Amino acid sequence: MGEYLLEVQDLKTYFKTKAGYVRAVDGVTFAVKPGEKVALVGESGCGKSVTALSIMRLVAQPPGEYAGGSIIFEDQDLLELPESAMRRIRGGKIGMIFQDPMTCLNPTMPIGKQIAEGLQIHLKLSKDEALKRATKLLEEVGIPDVANRINAYPHQFSGGMRQRVMIAIALACNPKLLIADEPTTALDVTVQAQILELISGICSEFGTALILITHDLGVVAGMTDRVIVMYAGRVVEEAPTEELFANPRHPYTLGLLNSVPRLDEAGHSELRTIEGAPPDLLRPPTGCRFMPRCIYARNICRQMPPLEPLVGHSEHRKACWLDVTDPKEQAHAEQRRQARIAAQRAALEAAMSNSNSSSTTARSS
Amino acid sequence: MGRYIIRRLIQAIPLLFLISIAMFGLIHALPGGPAAVIFNPHLTAAGRAALVAKFGLNDPLPVQYLKWLSQMLVGNFGYSFQTNQPVSQIIAERFPNTLQLFGSALVLALILAIILGIIAAVRQGSIVDYTLMTLSYFGIAMPVFVLGLIAQNVFAVQLHWFPPSGLSSPIFGMSPFQSFLDHLDHLFMPMCVLAVAFIAGWSRYMRSSMIEVVKQDYMRTARAKGVSPIPLLIKHALRNAVIPLITVVAIDFGSVAGGAAITEGVFAWPGMGLQFLDSLDRRDYPVLLAMLLLSAVFVISFNLIADILYAVMDPRIRYS
Amino acid sequence: MDISENLDSILSTQDELEPLLEESPALVQKRRSQGRIIFDRFVRNKAAVVGAVFLILLFLFCFLGPTVTGHNKPDQQNLTSVTDTLAPPSWKYPFGTDDLGRDELARAMVGGQTSLLVGLSSMLMAIVLGVGIGAFAGFYGGIVDNLLMRLTDVVLSVPLYLLLFVLSATFTDGTPRSVIILIAIFGWTIAARLVRGEFLALKEREFVYAARTVGAKDFRLMFRHILPNAAGPIIVNATLLTSSNIILESVLSYFGFGIKLPNASWGSMLNYGENLADVAPWLIYVPALLIFFTVLSLNLVGDGLRDALDPYMTER
Repeated sequence: MGEYLLEVQDLKTYFKTKAGYVRAVDGVTFAVKPGEKVALVGESGCGKSVTALSIMRLVAQPPGEYAGGSIIFEDQDLLELPESAMRRIRGGKIGMIFQDPMTCLNPTMPIGKQIAEGLQIHLKLSKDEALKRATKLLEEVGIPDVANRINAYPHQFSGGMRQRVMIAIALACNPKLLIADEPTTALDVTVQAQILELISGICSEFGTALILITHDLGVVAGMTDRVIVMYAGRVVEEAPTEELFANPRHPYTLGLLNSVPRLDEAGHSELRTIEGAPPDLLRPPTGCRFMPRCIYARNICRQMPPLEPLVGHSEHRKACWLDVTDPKEQAHAEQRRQARIAAQRAALEAAMSNSNSSSTTARSS
Repeated sequence: MGRYIIRRLIQAIPLLFLISIAMFGLIHALPGGPAAVIFNPHLTAAGRAALVAKFGLNDPLPVQYLKWLSQMLVGNFGYSFQTNQPVSQIIAERFPNTLQLFGSALVLALILAIILGIIAAVRQGSIVDYTLMTLSYFGIAMPVFVLGLIAQNVFAVQLHWFPPSGLSSPIFGMSPFQSFLDHLDHLFMPMCVLAVAFIAGWSRYMRSSMIEVVKQDYMRTARAKGVSPIPLLIKHALRNAVIPLITVVAIDFGSVAGGAAITEGVFAWPGMGLQFLDSLDRRDYPVLLAMLLLSAVFVISFNLIADILYAVMDPRIRYS
Repeated sequence: MDISENLDSILSTQDELEPLLEESPALVQKRRSQGRIIFDRFVRNKAAVVGAVFLILLFLFCFLGPTVTGHNKPDQQNLTSVTDTLAPPSWKYPFGTDDLGRDELARAMVGGQTSLLVGLSSMLMAIVLGVGIGAFAGFYGGIVDNLLMRLTDVVLSVPLYLLLFVLSATFTDGTPRSVIILIAIFGWTIAARLVRGEFLALKEREFVYAARTVGAKDFRLMFRHILPNAAGPIIVNATLLTSSNIILESVLSYFGFGIKLPNASWGSMLNYGENLADVAPWLIYVPALLIFFTVLSLNLVGDGLRDALDPYMTER
């Protein structure tokens, strides 16, 4: 098998629309070791969910297409497998939990049966054996009063409970890899920590590798071994968790980390944001995709930077031509930032004076 | 769920009450009034007197209503002007034929509608889907009696594939098996015509219900579990998609009471509908009014059944 | 990385690499009138257009046909000529003739006049009635609403055809007028429900409050302000109601209860032709297909209108 459980190589997943191909995932490369916990972070629309769905080959085929690359799992390219073989992997070797627990369970099937179904398919258990295993699984994920709840229906559970059921379903057949796509985004804050601990604990206990997809950096810090940062369908940086937080090297990562408000900063200070919006994935720019928003950008950035390891830090990769720790670059960036802020203010004032002189009715934004 | 059912039952009672009042009003609205309705022209004086007492024809209206209602509730619908049989007996005789026709059409239509709806949904956007949708649209636009007339003419009168009307052929000496086949022969066309009328609407409903269900997140969960296509379709999609369809089926079937007269009329099928038309020709009011009342009850009952079925089939309502 | 130092000297510090807050060009869109928007939407729906064209042709056929084509003697009997009785469709008699030698084409046109007239008139009456009842129920709410909706429930529960058969046999006299009134009496329920729903929703909107503050009285509010906003669903319902009324009239006439001689409608033509169906099937096919295509076209137009009217509010 080699060192890695899962190797995603230059994966491309496109969606065919009337206007053309939307390149949701456009050349993503990363790998996961057995038992490793990896976070896949990025803003909405960067392609992290589509990457996860591609690994499971769950992308809806008519609009979606696997346009290139390979996904090597246990020495097999998942993109080349026949569908029947892929079905054996789904649920059996790779499990997945989704974002919204309220809609992810079949409302007309008791939860015990929903868990048992996977066991019957992959482990060939009989109905009774499967239900018994399911009962145990429910206990493990922390559902109280299991004997009575095993035959209950999803609508009789709260959101957090339902997500626990989802975890039980995904891990029922003891898969090698668990993909968790924003598992706590739809839950109450109090429940979020519990669910994350549960996922982390079970993965550690059974040696299951984990790909945790999230846009919340706080979640990432406590839980994962490694972080992969995605932007506009590509990987822009990748490093062990502590290294990434301590020593971010890509301007986007810098922006992300800077935008998290901190307890120890002055109250009422302005939130730092990353200006602009992600590029149109129908016609992505040919160079670095972050360039239009990047305050460090230089002319060379018009060429797509490769994802390369840092000098002396083979575990830490970035896709950027520039060295953001270089004081010269930082000065240049600071200049750009000030110029941008000034320009914004000027434009704002111009707009306000226009509206003051032209009409008196309030504009809706 | 029990409370839900009881609540619906209680809601239905005022409606039944109002219907009965409406019927009562109708009796009085018809020319000749209740006298024309209740009095068989051939009655003797004594017979008349008895009826007057029973239906309270000389009593004030409210009392009359109560007396009439109590008769209805007991099942005493009066006696046919035509044959002097108790109306309830006439209805009981004709009922099995109507049940045969509509029951078989219902089963056939339901099975085909589900299958066609699934096919159209699974092959959404294809030629098959487009064809099925167009055909079903025609089916909805085509009035049942027009379809019946055309089918009757083409298949029975012109092509002689099936008998044009009636329940059985007037041939003596057929073995039981032969007469059974003959019976089926006669049943086939009216059953198909009725079934087509049902299938048109139901298959469209099934199709859109399936399309909705397949989009749901829990279908993705099931696929992520590794469930194969057929159990996916049946255990997961169908189970959910069929629930709203069943209630539509129950309601449509309930309103069939009106359609019974039409289909049976076209094919001269001796069921309750045909009896209604015959009685109408002869102004046999006791029969007519009894049937009106019964069919209203039928419609309301089936609406109730629809709600109850939904509650039973959807666990979200069953356990709440 | 190392390249940056070299680049620095080549590049100017005013790299035009990022767009500052651009001013988007002002988009001046000529606003189409609401009517125009709806019309354009409708025209995009090819099936609906086909239906509408058919209906227009049908009207011309039925009302202008007799004078234009010369087949204008629906009652003229040709009993003496053998070739002219029970004649299949031909150039002389495009729809054939019946056993009395009457021209089916002429009868179809004149019968169509009646069928269409009955369908439309009963629809108009029913809509007026339904809108009135629904508006009152929706606007005033409370007991009035409750009562009216109970009434609607009762009318809807009774099997329509059976009741109409009985009432038609008893009260109508075979003329279009009586049939129109009868059908209208039972056609208002769905429109009433619809209108009530719309009124219930609309009466809480700001423009109603605004009109009230200017002193508008109830009636004016209902019919000048709220009703136009509910017009969309009402129009769709009207179209579909026309088609079901045409079917209703045909059923009644076919069974001998609706339109009777000397008046004729497609339904009564079916009634007459049924006895001769084995030797002259065109007597059945002509009215049957006319009914079917009329209903189909009305459905297509109704659906097209529904699609065209529904989202027009959201277009900017």
